[in-house]
Amino acid sequence: MSELSINGLRKSYGATEVLHGLDLEVSGNEFVVFVGPSGCGKSTFLRSIAGLETISGGSMTIDGADISGLEPDRRGVAMVFQNYALYPHMTVAQNMGFALRMAHVPKAEIARKVREVAEILQLEPYLDRRPMDLSGGQRQRVAIGRAIVREPKVFLFDEPLSNLDADLRAHMRLEIIKLHRHQKGISIYVTHDQVEAMTMADKIVVMRDGNIEQVGSPLDLYNEPVNRFVAGFLGTPRMNFLDATSTGVANWRLGLKVGGMTLSPPIRPDADALPEAGAPLSLGVRPDGWRIVAEGDGLAGRVVHAEQLGRETVVFIELEHGPQVAMIQPGQYRLHSDDAIWLAPAPDELHLFDASDAALPVARIPRTNSHN
Amino acid sequence: MKSLAFFPRTRRMAIIMHLFLLGYVAVILFPLSWVVIGALKTNREMFLDPTGLPADPNWGKFIEAWNAGVRDFFINSVVVSGVSVALIVIASALAAYALTRMNFRYSGWVYLLTVLCFAIPVHAVLVPIYGLLSDLHLLNTHLGLILPYAAFGLPFSIILMYSFFYEFPAELEEAGKLDGCGPWRRLWFVVLPLSRPVLISVAIFNLVGVWNEFLLATIIMTSKHMQTLPLGLVSFRDQYGTDWPGTLAAISIGSLPLLVLFVIFQKYFVRSMAGMGK
Repeated sequence: MSELSINGLRKSYGATEVLHGLDLEVSGNEFVVFVGPSGCGKSTFLRSIAGLETISGGSMTIDGADISGLEPDRRGVAMVFQNYALYPHMTVAQNMGFALRMAHVPKAEIARKVREVAEILQLEPYLDRRPMDLSGGQRQRVAIGRAIVREPKVFLFDEPLSNLDADLRAHMRLEIIKLHRHQKGISIYVTHDQVEAMTMADKIVVMRDGNIEQVGSPLDLYNEPVNRFVAGFLGTPRMNFLDATSTGVANWRLGLKVGGMTLSPPIRPDADALPEAGAPLSLGVRPDGWRIVAEGDGLAGRVVHAEQLGRETVVFIELEHGPQVAMIQPGQYRLHSDDAIWLAPAPDELHLFDASDAALPVARIPRTNSHN
Repeated sequence: MKSLAFFPRTRRMAIIMHLFLLGYVAVILFPLSWVVIGALKTNREMFLDPTGLPADPNWGKFIEAWNAGVRDFFINSVVVSGVSVALIVIASALAAYALTRMNFRYSGWVYLLTVLCFAIPVHAVLVPIYGLLSDLHLLNTHLGLILPYAAFGLPFSIILMYSFFYEFPAELEEAGKLDGCGPWRRLWFVVLPLSRPVLISVAIFNLVGVWNEFLLATIIMTSKHMQTLPLGLVSFRDQYGTDWPGTLAAISIGSLPLLVLFVIFQKYFVRSMAGMGK
């Protein structure tokens, strides 16, 4: 059981601060995914933990020991790089055993450990080959093997699957998760792909502009985003946002005007800040949160395009008094372009955000997970 | 149909290019082969039929020339060239690596000064160099020639290595850091093994210059037994003025090492030079 604690981590390049005092606690055998758009600082954050970037402030500890000023190899971390970063002049076995060789581990011990890891990763037939003679997936496994051989407390992955094709990526995702369960220890994984984040993480860290926006389990973040950015970042197609106006609270219900439609979702018992009448709000509806309703009952729109995926239908709709929205309906809906359609959000699927984009946990009834 | 019309044109271009290259090769090879073939002739054949082939090739002139002093010139050249090229390769690799990796104060200025040194012609500093070496009692010593050779070879070598190290993949060195390498180990285990083309280019480029260098050698090596090949060959010609085959044999021996080295390593040389314009 390892523990990684990061307090007030800052990183500046000259006068420009790129990480603004980040705090994070990771413990046990968690698989943590840093996710965010390009330039949000997630890779810099990871590289700061690795010791490849010198931090400008704050502290980092692993199992209570301060690692902030230590050289990368003294931190108990290992990293898998985006472009593998295998040494081209060394064989697979030499690549995997290089860190141990640098640590003056006896040759026989290095050979034993390399063989052991090669067996786990099914790399035994390739031990004498050079990286250039391997496929992308094999190279990736060697890069992972090189990290495992060092038996680190924290594994760091910097967008390791971005160079692989879609099939191999899905396969390697599963391999990495299986390895993580097998190895124990903390894994921190950087990606800009929210599907990767949702499918792999025990804990997701959503970042934007050098700040952590929200930390939590994939479903917590999906169901209870703290702001419009997190809500829009997780989920495909992304959450739909519509302008709404509060008409005030009455009988434990919040009145909302959205386009030509009025809604009155029930107020959550734990809601504390209620919007005043006339307050401008943003209504968020996930694509699977729409219901098709009878003509005149909801928002009018026209079908732009319907993607027939067999098990579900993804419909893009241009609203008459609003933006284009995406809707997912289970099953097969034979809709065509320009078909008129009426839709309304399910009352328990409403997300509300105030003028500063912060979530208002007012109306939405939290989903319950049957196995939690 | 466009490709069919295009085909003969490219073919014609290729033929013209190859004819041009063949002519170029002939211009280079003719004097070289004339020297080697001339060494196999008798003196009489040299004058009667300067461009013809020898009736009975005489390899003895090579041994004769070797024993008549070429051996000493050859050894001097090997020592001076070998040590100065080794010095240049080691020092320029270290300097270029430091300049690209260590962001110390004024590192930009140091690089600029290096580039400026490249522009200084040897003729401009001949007298001070002579004075300096004389004061250090290094005239007529191997070191007296090695030091200025190394100094003049460094700027270009540093520039060449700088551009190579500058583009060296940062991730490989970062992987080295995580694997427990400090700067020295990163240079030795990661960077240098992957820098073979540029190291060999620097070595060959400097070797060609140093092996054939004449001016500095003339003023520093005045004693006959310390002379290097280019210098020795001149005095050899004066001494054996009438023995043309002997002189040509000496020239052939002097040219051989570079030719062999270049043929072996030309792959790296071409690759590194081609990458310079990046």
